[in-house]
Amino acid sequence: MRKSSKKHSTQLSNKVRLLIFIVLGFLIYLLSNNVDELRVYQGAQVAFYVVGIASIILLTGYSGQVSLGQGALLGVGGYAAALSHLNWKLPIPLTFAVAILAAAGAGALLGIAAARLSGPYLAGATLALAVGLPSIANQFTALGGEQGLFFDVGFPPESLGEEFTQYKWFFWIASLATLIAIFWLQNVMRSRYGRTWKAIRGSEVAAELAGVNIARAKVLAFTLSAGLAGLAGALLAMTIGTVSPSAFPLALSFSLLTGAVLSGVTTLGGVMIGAVTLVALPEIVGTIVNRAGASEAVATNLPHIVMGTLLILTVVFVPNGPVEQMRSRRVKKEKSL
Amino acid sequence: MKSFNRRKLITASAMLAVTAMTVAAVPANAFSPKSEVGVTSKEIKLGVTLPMTGAASPGYNKVPAAMKAYFDYVNANGGVNGRKITLVVKDDQYVPTQAVAKTNELILKDKVFALVSPLGTANNKAVAASVNPGKRGVPVLFVNTGFSGFADSKKYPTTYALLPSYVMEAKIMAEYIKDNFAGKSIGLVYQDDDFGSDALAGFKSAGIKFATTVGYASGSQSASTAAGWVTKLKAANCDVVILFGVSSATAAGLGTAAALKYAPQWILGSVGGDATTIKASGVPAGVLYNAVGASFLPATTDTSDEYVALFQSIYSKAVPGSAFDNNVLVGMNSAFVTVQAIQAAGKNPTRKSLLAAIDSKGSTFASAALIPLNYSKTSHVGYNGYWFGKYSPTGDLKPDGGKYTVYTTDSGSGAVVKSTYKRPAMPAKGLPN
Amino acid sequence: MFQLINTLLIGITSGAIYALMALSIVLVWRSTRVINFAQAGQALTSTFIGFQTLKYVDSFWIALLVAMIGGAIISALIEISLMRVLLKHSSSGAIAGVAPIIATLGLLEVIQAVITLIWGGADSIITPPLSNTGFTIGTNTLVFSPMKLAIIGIVAALLILLSLIVQKTSIGLSLRAAAFSPELARLAGVRVDAVRTMGWALSGATGAVAGLLLVANGNGSFSTASIEFSLLLISGFIAAVIGGLESLLGAVIGGLALGIITAFVLMYISDSLFFIAPFVILLLVLFIRPQGILGKKGGRRA
Repeated sequence: MRKSSKKHSTQLSNKVRLLIFIVLGFLIYLLSNNVDELRVYQGAQVAFYVVGIASIILLTGYSGQVSLGQGALLGVGGYAAALSHLNWKLPIPLTFAVAILAAAGAGALLGIAAARLSGPYLAGATLALAVGLPSIANQFTALGGEQGLFFDVGFPPESLGEEFTQYKWFFWIASLATLIAIFWLQNVMRSRYGRTWKAIRGSEVAAELAGVNIARAKVLAFTLSAGLAGLAGALLAMTIGTVSPSAFPLALSFSLLTGAVLSGVTTLGGVMIGAVTLVALPEIVGTIVNRAGASEAVATNLPHIVMGTLLILTVVFVPNGPVEQMRSRRVKKEKSL
Repeated sequence: MKSFNRRKLITASAMLAVTAMTVAAVPANAFSPKSEVGVTSKEIKLGVTLPMTGAASPGYNKVPAAMKAYFDYVNANGGVNGRKITLVVKDDQYVPTQAVAKTNELILKDKVFALVSPLGTANNKAVAASVNPGKRGVPVLFVNTGFSGFADSKKYPTTYALLPSYVMEAKIMAEYIKDNFAGKSIGLVYQDDDFGSDALAGFKSAGIKFATTVGYASGSQSASTAAGWVTKLKAANCDVVILFGVSSATAAGLGTAAALKYAPQWILGSVGGDATTIKASGVPAGVLYNAVGASFLPATTDTSDEYVALFQSIYSKAVPGSAFDNNVLVGMNSAFVTVQAIQAAGKNPTRKSLLAAIDSKGSTFASAALIPLNYSKTSHVGYNGYWFGKYSPTGDLKPDGGKYTVYTTDSGSGAVVKSTYKRPAMPAKGLPN
Repeated sequence: MFQLINTLLIGITSGAIYALMALSIVLVWRSTRVINFAQAGQALTSTFIGFQTLKYVDSFWIALLVAMIGGAIISALIEISLMRVLLKHSSSGAIAGVAPIIATLGLLEVIQAVITLIWGGADSIITPPLSNTGFTIGTNTLVFSPMKLAIIGIVAALLILLSLIVQKTSIGLSLRAAAFSPELARLAGVRVDAVRTMGWALSGATGAVAGLLLVANGNGSFSTASIEFSLLLISGFIAAVIGGLESLLGAVIGGLALGIITAFVLMYISDSLFFIAPFVILLLVLFIRPQGILGKKGGRRA
């Protein structure tokens, strides 16, 4: 269905897409000037979730592999950024680059391992990774132990004015990084590699017959996905100012996976849906619960119930995600006309 | 066609983001230039983040109710200068990302006057770095962690430590060992993270040598791993074993040792030495008998102590059926000191006047502890000492010889000295005057 | 010498409990080709059912039985209400292969939140039915106690019982058929749905035993936040993989192997390697003998 719809759709030229991203960036800029500090902070959260979710979409949606340990790769990125900033005094953009490279390296290793595994084995192995990796930080004093390391990207430039808050600065940095990452990712998806992954997802056997080196394609998907996860980790570290083992818990991996499924893993189009849900849902439920006068225990647990239920319902009824669902419905309608 | 739709979808989801971010928006703050954030004519709003659920929550999740119990007691007796104190509690599940997010909500949405007793080293560090209460001028009173760094008033100008640091505790414990167990073979069980490494540093600076050490990974403590610790300690013939971990580790260690008939002289760190928590985890009180423990507050069972008696009666009315343990006592004591600080900040307290009041008068605040607070313009160290005692057959910590002997020291290389401090009488009815 | 023996005994007892979890995972895998990541949450729920039962009756063994029945019912309901629908709806599509994994993760999140709302907050205690005091030889005390012997006995009994069910009755054959080729099985007259539900129910009951024995092996305290239960899932999974994921005997051997190796690593290398050791063991197994100890070659790429 995807392939057929692709044929009779016109591809936007790269220039037009670039323009769209620039307009999007401008909208975000306007937005940042019109909301209060808490929303700007949450905007920065949304940004790192977008990158994290995109990393899972790339892996799961385009190459059919599942990783429950994405949080660990975010951790690799976060620590790489913090360490390169602390020890080598690298400027912030370069620390992000280091984060991407470090996580991509780890992802390549994981990908080589993963190429031998599939389905439940890969899921279990990455799950064990998510549990095991953070505790390594306690083994080496250079990693700061349980209390972690600082990652201070510095105050906003004074030219932006007195009123310019730290969180707005984080939001700007995170949004810019996210826009660039997503633009780049779209380019990758439209490249030869993107088509290869889709072919593998469609049918591994058919792709192999068509001469695709499946193992290599999968390792590449893992590497690029991990690079994105590394960037997400650096952005996360920036927004909380530190890295520590407890900042990258198993729950983070699960959240990202949930966000990816809610967004729809087959396309990048819905990536905002999952990210916004992850940030907004706990607060919305919390506000409702508090108004209703229920306890803090309800306020913390109800979002989990809602989130878990949403995840199950999505997997069962809209496995390809809301965006793909709408699209295929429209294609059907067009055909019937 | 398809790409156009995608564009629409991206825009739509961006719009969704905008709406979501503004829908739950804050009601316009009723901001009058005179009053401080979080202070109205009737109310002073405080906030706390700590693990209420999750693996790190047991024990600590009793703290907010304990604090509220004391605040409500003050409120029922007229409040602080006529203002009632309310406490907004947020669950951070012991995850720094959550701690930062919830603290932001407290400061930016709930608009609290100050943060009180936020818990956890990694969490407080993340909050200090990201939210930066120091730059915002938001007071962070009496952080609930033994990490010595928070006493640094230059780095964290609005943050005040309360608990003695782990380094202090280890140094004082080392002194106690030298006095009482010289020449014995000593073993150490510690948590293999900064909590434990601070303690290791303290023991090292005091020159204690260990026959063997067991550094367990945080979260791995259980009866079956503890069987390994005991086997190792036994093999090294340790006569004295220091258990410097969290309560669940103490419970696992003592319970398993009893089952394996291993009975060295135990010395328990204060974090994991709370008898009520240990007993609540299924270990019979008897295994605590004769173990050495440390505290800076009076024993929770010492009802002859006026603070303990008062706090106990307040707590049992506010939270019926809940055991009065050290977590409760620490929480109520923090609330008690907080109320005095707000009282000292003047008729119309501001964040600035609150900080100034603690800097100038903090060392004179009354508290249940058997050592004075050490606040000054240059130091944000709270308590700096411990007394030692032994557990009774019913598992209650009692001071040696029935008398509290307190030792004090610092987090650096300073000596351990016997304290001569005599706690002043409690203010009438436990209310600040 | 005694250090060596005790290390071995520590490994055997914790391994026995991993083995139970591994059995539970294998039963679901054999019946529906799904790894049930909600298993730890179900085991914890069953343990609370046992805890609740102990408020009315005085016997641990009756509570264990009630918990097993409760666990079996919950597990069967999950299969009927969720898995069946899921397999019907997402048998094709981009994430068909991983949809069940994701669904069980969602389920885990829901279960954990629900039991936290019901039993959250305080520590709960289940008093072990037998003494945990170790046997004494001369001046030395073994890590073995009546309770620990009982645990090992129960694991052995369950293994035999389940093996009999699976191998000697038609259920085992049906399970295999239902998992591998539901359509053919149906044509051959196998009541596929019922057989699958049966596999899940057996798994739920086994998980309940794992949960209660885990608690009884310690001081008896547990809570909704018990980290031991999340670890149980991972240990059980690793044990199942070591055993080849297909075989009941393999699951038990895998559990024991994991328990013993971990105990020796903690004793003779470092206590701080608790979380890293199982992961390294898993990786080694996946690379050196990917089909598991008892698995057949080529069976790995499911």
